[in-house]
Amino acid sequence: MTHRDVAMSSSQTHTLEHRKSQTTPRRLSDGQFAVLLLLPGVALLAGVVLYPLIAALVTAFFEQSLVLPGRTFVGLQNVVEVLQGDFLRLLRQTMVFTLGTTILPFVIGFALALALNTRIRGAKVLRGLMLIPWLVPGVVVSFLWMWIFNANYGVMNALLQGLGLVDDPQAWLAQPGTAMGAVILAKTWQSFPWMMVMLLAGLQTVPVELHEAAEMDGAGTVRRFFSITLPHLKGIVGLVVLLEFIWNFQHFDIIYVLTGGGPAGATQTFATAVYETAFQGYDLGKAGALGLLWMVLLMALVVVYVRFSEKGEER
Amino acid sequence: MSTNPLMQSAVSRRRMLQLLGIGAGTAALAACAPSAPAASGGAASAAATGGARTDFAFSSWSFTEEAAAPALEAIVKAYEDHADVTVNDVSFPYNEYINQLTLQVKGGQFTGAAHVDVAWLGSLAAMGKLQDLSALTEGRGYTDAALAAAQFDGVQYGLPWTIGAIGLVTNSALLEKVGVSGDAFPTTIDEFEKTLKDLKGLGGGLIPYAASTKAAQLKDILIWMETFGSPLVDGDTVTIGDDASVEAVTWYKSLYDQKLIAADVDRFDARSLFAQGRAAIYDDAPVGRGAVTEESPDKDLGSKLVPVSRPVLKAGDTPRALVWGGAIAVVDGEGAATAADFAQFATSDLDTVLADYEVRGLPPVTTEAQQSEVVSSDVFGSLFNERITATSSSNPFWAFTAYSQIETEIAEQVQAVLVGKTDPKTAMQQAGEAAQKLIG
Repeated sequence: MTHRDVAMSSSQTHTLEHRKSQTTPRRLSDGQFAVLLLLPGVALLAGVVLYPLIAALVTAFFEQSLVLPGRTFVGLQNVVEVLQGDFLRLLRQTMVFTLGTTILPFVIGFALALALNTRIRGAKVLRGLMLIPWLVPGVVVSFLWMWIFNANYGVMNALLQGLGLVDDPQAWLAQPGTAMGAVILAKTWQSFPWMMVMLLAGLQTVPVELHEAAEMDGAGTVRRFFSITLPHLKGIVGLVVLLEFIWNFQHFDIIYVLTGGGPAGATQTFATAVYETAFQGYDLGKAGALGLLWMVLLMALVVVYVRFSEKGEER
Repeated sequence: MSTNPLMQSAVSRRRMLQLLGIGAGTAALAACAPSAPAASGGAASAAATGGARTDFAFSSWSFTEEAAAPALEAIVKAYEDHADVTVNDVSFPYNEYINQLTLQVKGGQFTGAAHVDVAWLGSLAAMGKLQDLSALTEGRGYTDAALAAAQFDGVQYGLPWTIGAIGLVTNSALLEKVGVSGDAFPTTIDEFEKTLKDLKGLGGGLIPYAASTKAAQLKDILIWMETFGSPLVDGDTVTIGDDASVEAVTWYKSLYDQKLIAADVDRFDARSLFAQGRAAIYDDAPVGRGAVTEESPDKDLGSKLVPVSRPVLKAGDTPRALVWGGAIAVVDGEGAATAADFAQFATSDLDTVLADYEVRGLPPVTTEAQQSEVVSSDVFGSLFNERITATSSSNPFWAFTAYSQIETEIAEQVQAVLVGKTDPKTAMQQAGEAAQKLIG
């Protein structure tokens, strides 16, 4: 083959490759294709979650009204005013509500789960019935308990007066001493079934053989509960308590409908305070500052949850 | 060579991306396309010139009230037949109404006709989305007082629907049991308190006076503060925290402690208790009559309802009452022109107004309706006008756009006093300072 032939052959090959590259579409790598598929979802997330979140947080640094146009940058003034104002009272009340509505449903849910895990008659029916409060929407639960606790025509007063436990009707939702307890009770009624179902599922994974062997070795019910049942449930207990805590930390509907945060702010939590500041006080700046501080606290809880989940996966 | 399963499907990656692109492009085009044209030149002018009518939304808290809803539904139906349009009902309960409406209007989710308490006009007008309806008031016979009540800063932001007052409504049968006739109701606060104690003495769990004690309606305390001599506001200076306001709250707290008024009561609880015969006296506008008589097991309750003048601090003082009124405002945007026409129809068409009066008993706002046989022959309505509305005055806080926040601040402090968390003097000082800050 002459030098010229080689040159021609090379030129033809180059032209062919050039034509091929013009007619054959460039292939995307799997990674590039995955990114393209993810883009709509990411855009949606950015539009409906990130943008509103950032916009809400940014208002914390402005003096801004819900109804009046315009806003003025005030730096950290709103955050400082919130911290110097009601923040600690709100934190305390939010913690009381959150702890109350986490511990009580856990205790009730665990007790019921243990009961339903035995071979009692009608356990399946009872399990279904117990789920009803959890299926009822929060607003409906609130109205139900509002009527139960009503000072002037509520069932609770009628019952207690009938039993001779109180002389006069009590304003359960209108007295600072009882309002938070009433709200916690209403929320407990709504959330214990979820705890019960989760714990019951956990209980059913505990090997029966272990219990039988321990029983043969002379271990009593209490000993078996603490030495076999509880260690097996450690993961699920931690998970449900942590999740319930996080949900209750941001709970809104039952408190708002039952008391609106009253009387005199006695049941106000971060959730109701942010709503009241923004939509009744029309002060978006203060509401944003309160929301910012609330979110920082929630982030701490989320970190704990993530760590806990990671440990669970390692186990 | 490994092959991505997706590549083996009937639709290639490129084709899929092309389809996605076409879909996204179509969605973007749809989003960018102009929406239905908004009312141009203002609803009032469009309605006045008889422009093409369009469907619109109408919001009212009365749709949520069992006794009042039929009247509103009848008005809406009459207008739909009259104008051949569809009116979309929007409703929120009264206690939530102003917040929800504000959010909807601010977010551009609501346009059309909105039933509003005249007290809210300032807050809503501040958003700059209400139309000036003055062109629609010509030749419709609205009274000057009614038109003035639906203005803010001299602009006709609403067409008045009903203008009356909030006053004391009594159950004459219960009062007679303690020797008080409807015509001889106590005129001073001391006599009033004695009557409440006598009523309490009847026993049976009777609540002598179902006054508002829930924060949502604790604005009722303001009229008692005025009765005790507080002007509430002097020019741009809030006077709450003065001796008169502190005395009023101290007295209210003493009624609460003596159980002459009950805990956990707002207007709707008060109506229920009154309807059941468990309360002898409560505060309400004439609209409450329909609610209590319909809800009551006592079919004769209507004849026992007697409106009375609010007791005064010293004999000879003028009884105080708070103006209460409803108007229809029009929010700029889609359907606003027809909404304005509807507002005019609902508030001033004689047949419509009189039919509404027979159900809701709300004082009409046109001279013709006020002079009609239906209205003038109504004993309860006439007594209400004579004893309550005649001496009523507006809440001075209505002049400020932050009116509803001011009321909330005051209500929360009064509630704190009632539940024993603070004392009247401290609470009223704090309420006054908070109100002053909101006024600026």
